[in-house]
Amino acid sequence: MTGTPLIRAEGLTRVLAVEPPVTLIRDVSFEINRGEFVAVIGPSGCGKSSLLYLLGLLDRPTEGRLLFDGEDTTGTDGNARANLRLARFGFVFQFHFLLPEFTALENVTLPMRRLGWLGGAEIDARGRALLGAMGLEGQEHKTPDKMSGGQRQRVAIARALANDPALLLGDEPTGNLDSLNSKRVIEIFHDLAAKEGRTIICVTHDPEVAASAHRRIHMLDGRIERID
Amino acid sequence: MFSRFSLLLGIALRHISKRKRQTLVAIAGVGIGVGFFLAVSALMIGSQNDFVETLIDAAPHIIISDEIRSPTPQPAVRAFPDAAVEVRHYKTRNEVRGIKDWQGLMRTIGARSDAVASPSLSGAVTLRVGGREEALAIVGIEPGIEAQVSDVEQYLKEGRLRNLETTQGGVIIGEEMASRLGVRMGDIMAATSARGVTRTLKIVGLFERGRGQFGGSSGYVLLREAQSLTSQPFVINRIGIRLDDPYAAEDIAKRLEARYGYKAESWQERSADFLSLLVTRNVIMYTVISAILLVASFGIYTVVSTSVADKRRDIAIMRSMGFSSGDLQAVFVMEGFTLACVGVLAGWGLGFALMQVLGSIEFNIQGSTETMPLDRSFFQYAISAGASLFSAIIAAWLPARKAAQVDPVDILRGAV
Repeated sequence: MTGTPLIRAEGLTRVLAVEPPVTLIRDVSFEINRGEFVAVIGPSGCGKSSLLYLLGLLDRPTEGRLLFDGEDTTGTDGNARANLRLARFGFVFQFHFLLPEFTALENVTLPMRRLGWLGGAEIDARGRALLGAMGLEGQEHKTPDKMSGGQRQRVAIARALANDPALLLGDEPTGNLDSLNSKRVIEIFHDLAAKEGRTIICVTHDPEVAASAHRRIHMLDGRIERID
Repeated sequence: MFSRFSLLLGIALRHISKRKRQTLVAIAGVGIGVGFFLAVSALMIGSQNDFVETLIDAAPHIIISDEIRSPTPQPAVRAFPDAAVEVRHYKTRNEVRGIKDWQGLMRTIGARSDAVASPSLSGAVTLRVGGREEALAIVGIEPGIEAQVSDVEQYLKEGRLRNLETTQGGVIIGEEMASRLGVRMGDIMAATSARGVTRTLKIVGLFERGRGQFGGSSGYVLLREAQSLTSQPFVINRIGIRLDDPYAAEDIAKRLEARYGYKAESWQERSADFLSLLVTRNVIMYTVISAILLVASFGIYTVVSTSVADKRRDIAIMRSMGFSSGDLQAVFVMEGFTLACVGVLAGWGLGFALMQVLGSIEFNIQGSTETMPLDRSFFQYAISAGASLFSAIIAAWLPARKAAQVDPVDILRGAV
């Protein structure tokens, strides 16, 4: 299994069909292996987030192929992509993006309940364990509006990990956090890659996140400038 | 599958429970719609049933008369049906009126366990009291049998049908006629038929006022009396039939007519005008109350529509988590459907209460206290629920499609 890269992008191009057409991503190719922590960096509007949405199967490339775990995802239908996101991916955004009507524990268990592989009691236990791992014991029954920004972001990470994903996608996950909470998130990401072998792709402006990643994809005007 | 359903339903319930005011307004809309649907249809259907019952029971279900709908063809035409036969200037035989072989007809009907037949003879006489004269259509009956066939007896204000048998020359007329002639129970009048026969008749019963077909200008006498007054011994010209199942009347009437040739008129045929009027009435009623239910579903459309608009961000998050666009659509359809279900239950309660109120109103009709006829059948509850839930699903589905169409990338990009 270690032979195939987890993600292989071949000439990914995304053109917005507006007048005149806008090219968000232009002929991007790379490979990312299991257990890698990769940061995508570059100035605003360089196409970092657009690339992340393509990798997260939220968007479709206009040209090129995207292989996940050796399987071509380019022509798959909406339900297959949703199922892949559900079972294999986890997203963490700049804003916590928790569902406001639900408690921390309910937010974390939602993906597990949708997947339906575990029973109710197991789901509950796993939800509590994930929140515990994020240092959120005792916060299970609070709704997002009763929590601090750092706590919410950790709930969001716990939720992203709910279905034990192979790939964690971060879109400026530390963008809205103070330095202390940013450090915590970086530590968590490091542990997830190193100890649990998860692959992490993180779009960021934060030099600390970039510095702590194994590799950095530098982007400019929709192209990869360099990878180091 | 079930766990997924309950998960999506749980999300839907959470959404609507957080927007209490809108939820209440939508539920109230459906509830009031359903409630008034029930009250109005109970009243309309109830009064219709009451009316049809009166139509059915006022007279025999089938009346066979000595009329023939189309005259019998001439023997020459019958003998050569396909030939070009023209018969002119023929002389019709002067036949005695009345139903021939009526005993045979009576036996045929008597053989059925679900039917009772009563023979009668109608004719016309002139009543004379003092200087006053009134034309009276007399019906000669066998009181014992006639009572089983029509509800004549219950329209009597004074006297009984049986009095005809016990009093020689007894007659029952309407109150209106009696007051026109200035006579009362027990008074004696002279009656002259077209054949010139004159008898004295004694009033042994009076029909109550307002019973159009009995009150105005017709009277009941004994069959024998009618036969001798009109000089038609042993003749009858009408057979009234009452059936256990009134709705079979049309069919049975057709068969009797085909077999005996005499005009057999069912109550449906007799009151075709009224029945078509009822159809029109029902069309109007259901149009109006469907409009009420439709308007109620607009409330659901609004709630679901604003819910989708408010939750665009949540929709994007859930899509990124791995919920499919179908899941999201289902969540919002369930929101509308749940509101409709609660609304229907509230409406049933309201409708029941309205019916209790309507049912308790008493009013006077010609001296007797009556309450409004209400149809409280389960069928009305089922129809109102079915119609509201159906329109609610449509009303929720239209905006819910938008939830399915939300492109998460648009939302996520806009939020950053």
